[in-house]
Parts: sequence; C-alpha cells; structure tokens
Amino acid sequence: MIQVRKLGKYYGTHRVLTDIDMHIHKGEIFGVVGHSGAGKSTLLRCLNGLEPYQEGSVRVMGTEVSSLDAAGLRQLQSQMGMIFQNFNLMARKNVYDNVAFPLLLWGRKDCRGRVMELLDLVGLADRAKQRVQSLSGGQKQRVGIARALALNPPVLLCDEATSALDPQTTASILDLLDDINRRLDLTIVMVTHQMEVVKRLCHDMLMLDGGRTVAIGKTEDLFLSPTRAMRAIVGNEFTLIPGGVNIRLMFPRDISQQSIITRMARELGIDFSIVGGKLERYLDDVFGFLIINVKEKDRETVLTYLRDRNLYWEILDETEQGLSGDSAPQTAPGEAAGHE
Amino acid sequence: MNDLNAMLAPLWERFLDKLPEILTATWETLDMVFLSTLFSMLIGFALAIVMILTNPIGLKPCRSFYSVVDFVVNLLRSFPFIILLIAIIPLTRLIVGTSIGSTAAIVPLTIAAAPFVARLIEASFLEVDRGVIEAARSFGASNAQIIFRVLLPEALPSIILNIAVIAITLLGYSAMAGTVGGGGLGDLAVRYGYNRFQLDIMVYSVIILCVLVLLIQGVCNFLYKVMR
Repeated sequence: MIQVRKLGKYYGTHRVLTDIDMHIHKGEIFGVVGHSGAGKSTLLRCLNGLEPYQEGSVRVMGTEVSSLDAAGLRQLQSQMGMIFQNFNLMARKNVYDNVAFPLLLWGRKDCRGRVMELLDLVGLADRAKQRVQSLSGGQKQRVGIARALALNPPVLLCDEATSALDPQTTASILDLLDDINRRLDLTIVMVTHQMEVVKRLCHDMLMLDGGRTVAIGKTEDLFLSPTRAMRAIVGNEFTLIPGGVNIRLMFPRDISQQSIITRMARELGIDFSIVGGKLERYLDDVFGFLIINVKEKDRETVLTYLRDRNLYWEILDETEQGLSGDSAPQTAPGEAAGHE
Repeated sequence: MNDLNAMLAPLWERFLDKLPEILTATWETLDMVFLSTLFSMLIGFALAIVMILTNPIGLKPCRSFYSVVDFVVNLLRSFPFIILLIAIIPLTRLIVGTSIGSTAAIVPLTIAAAPFVARLIEASFLEVDRGVIEAARSFGASNAQIIFRVLLPEALPSIILNIAVIAITLLGYSAMAGTVGGGGLGDLAVRYGYNRFQLDIMVYSVIILCVLVLLIQGVCNFLYKVMR
C-alpha cells in the first residue's frame, strides 16, 4: 500500500528525516511513535504530499508521490483521509457542513445520504445540525473521522489523533478506529507519542528519534523485548529500587504463570521485592508485567531459574532511568533480554 | 418661557430653511461613503488575495513579489489623506471627468482606503486557524478553493467588523473631502458653521455624522454576532 525507501527530508539545511524505510500493508494499522520533534508528523505529511521530500522514495498505491503534478497530488490526497490532534474543523459550521466539505470540494452536490451514513458510522447522526463549537473533544474527533472518510479513501492518516483527549475518550476513539479498520478494510497510519495507543491498536510500528529509525517491526515483539535504544526512548515505567537486580518479567496470554515468582522464591529460598506490576493490552491480547528486585548475591541462581522457564524477562538497569532519547546509556549493558 | 421661545424661533426657522440642504448633504455623504467603501473593498479584497497567496507564510509564498505589494500598500497608507486628495486630482479628472463634487471625492477616498482594506482583510485571513487550512489541503483542496471556501467564510465575521472600521474612517475622510469641494456634511459644517458662524448648522451635521457612525457600527456588530 505504502512503501517508503531511504526517505530523507530537510527544512533548509536542517535535516529532519534520515534514511527512513517502511512498508505499510493494505488493511493494517501502522504506528509511528517517538518524542515530540522526532519527525513523526513530518513523515506522515510526506506520505500525502503535504510536505515535499528531498531524498529517497515514497510510493503510495504504486505512485511515486514526488513525481505527481499539482492535480495528481490533489487526486492522491483525496485518496488519503487525515485526522488531526486539534481536529481542525471549521468552528463556525455545523457537524453536517464539516463532513460534507470534502464532498463539495470534489463536486459531489448530492451528498446528503453519504454524510448521514458517515455520521451514523461515527455515532453522531443525531448531532448533524449542531455547531462544532458546542461538541466535546471526543465528538469533534468523531466529526474529524467522518470528514476524513467522506471521500471513501483506502488510507487514513492520524496525526496525534488522541493526544488532546482524556483516557476514556481516547479509548472510545481507538475502538472506533479499530472498528473502522476491520469493517472498511482501511489502512491506518497512526502518528502518536502515546505508547499505549500503539500497543492497543497497531499491528506494526516504527519508532523514530531525531528523524532516524530506532526500531521497526511487530508492535508486540518490539515492546516485549525492546532493544536498548528503544528502552532509552520508552523509559522505565516504574521507579526502580537502587541496589540489587531489577528484573522485568512478562507473562504472555497465560496469566497462571504469574505464580512462578512465589514458587521460585519458595524453591530457591530467596527474598524479593515487588517494584511494580501491571496488565497491558496489545491488540486483542493481554500481557502481565511484573518488575521484581532480588539481591545481587542471588543474581545467578535467579537468572538460571528464569532461563529454564518459558518467559520473557530482562534485567533493568537503574542508570537508564529517566533517560531521554538523545543521551546514551553510560554503563555496560546488563543481561540481554532472554526468550526461549 | 417666552424668552426661550424667542431665542429658539429663529433657530427653528433656519433649520426648516436649511433642511433641504442638510438632507442633500447627508445624501452626498452616504453616496460617497457607500461607493468608496464598496470600491475599496473590491480593490482591497483583490490585493488581500494576492498578499495571502504570496505571503511568506501564505499559500504560495513568493517573497520578492510580496515585498513589492507590501511596500506599495504601506506607502499609500502613510499618505496623509488631505495631501493624497490634492495630489491625485489629475487622476481623478481622468477617471470621473471632474475634480469637484462628491463623485470626484470617491476616487481619492477609494485609493486611500483600498490599501487599508487590503491590510485588514489580509490580517483576517491570517487569523484563520492554520490547521483548518491544512485539513482542507489534506483533502486535496486547491488554493482557489482554500481562499473562497475556507478563508473567506471563516474570516467573514472578522471582515464584517473591519468593514465598519473602514466605513467609519471613510465617513471621517469624506468630511475632509468636503473642504475641497467634495460636498457632503463636512462641506456643510465648514461653510455654515465655520465661515458664517452658524454654529447650529455645524451641530446638526455633527449629530448626523454621529448617528451614521453609531448606525454603521451597530449594523456590523449585529451581523458579526449573527454570523459568529
């Protein structure tokens, strides 16, 4: 659907994207994550020609974007809906007129049926005549989604679509996108800095930092055994206990495995402290995470025990804590993530 | 009471006597202000479109062209109106065939107000949320569609308020034009009030001007509220 090769972009002499490679398949939800200023939104805008690029190639549905003339570009843009962090609706118009806007731009005079169908899809059919100003953030984003889908595009681009919303509203918008993705076989590209959004919705992902690729691949794989560079960007979700060995354990699918820690403590006769734990949802799967701290002297016994079990686990390095993307870890890496 | 009547009687007589002249002058003023507002809006709107297109942060940036238009607009705006009025008399003759009367005054009024209008409309356009413009672009809107279907409707309430500013400024300018033979209420006030010490006539014209200002502002405020 979308193929990006060796993409490079400059603003004047300032390099914003370097050597980006990615392949987005039809019908998938693809996430682009990174901190603010990592180049995520710029990358998204290169896909639909809102931003020109200087190096490499972007092919959308077989067409090289930079080769298009103005009319061709507009045609391509009509095939790629886009939603935004701040919704970017026409504040003085009502819901109906906002959704009808792209249809009118493309000369579809008789669009009433289509608009109502779209409003029905996003659950706002009863708000057609209401002014956009009077809607809540979540409702505004629903109008944005309806508007972006008006021309029936095969691709939907989301630029921080949930970043201005509270967690509940974010969840409902994500559910909507998930539903649309399944029902319309829509390809969705999601740019976001919210890791939960990517975990919840994206099949594949690309992590950017400073305009460069940090990691690319299946979302689940990347988060379950993150590379050091990726960990530096994601950061540790808990404050680690200084001293001892902090170990992060991941329990895919089978929650019963969680008793493994108490069993281990019993069998090995060691003490441990719990640093933190949580459940996370990846697409339709739920994973349990537990971070424990064991004494340095027990290190080898515990690791040997864990190696023999079918578990994702890794040693967390407390010096990594609070590291932002651009500073490199100073100490030697601990045990690499083990998985059997 | 009788004294007061005796005092007011001649004033009343003079009012009735001069009423046709006051009405004519009011009509001339309205004529000048309406037509010059209309023409300066048309010219200013065209200029504003050129400016929003070529503005460095505009739709199709062209820095060199923009700086020329920008300079000309600033230059015209820096002319004191009374000097512009006299300086362009030859041009006025060329366009309307005469340099006297309210029709002649429309030319300098339009030329004085057009760059002002261009600036105000450009500012209204620049106020439009850039996100909305980007959204329109993301559905493949052309520049013309962005101007006429996004910028213009979104900026309309603010443009309406600017029309009030311009019409009221032109009302003031039109009184100035009166002093060089433009006719209208300014002319009336100067001819009777200043030259013949008939202060009452001057007061009448000032009252009418005040009413006109309040009326213009009131109507525009109302339209703004309805549209917003």
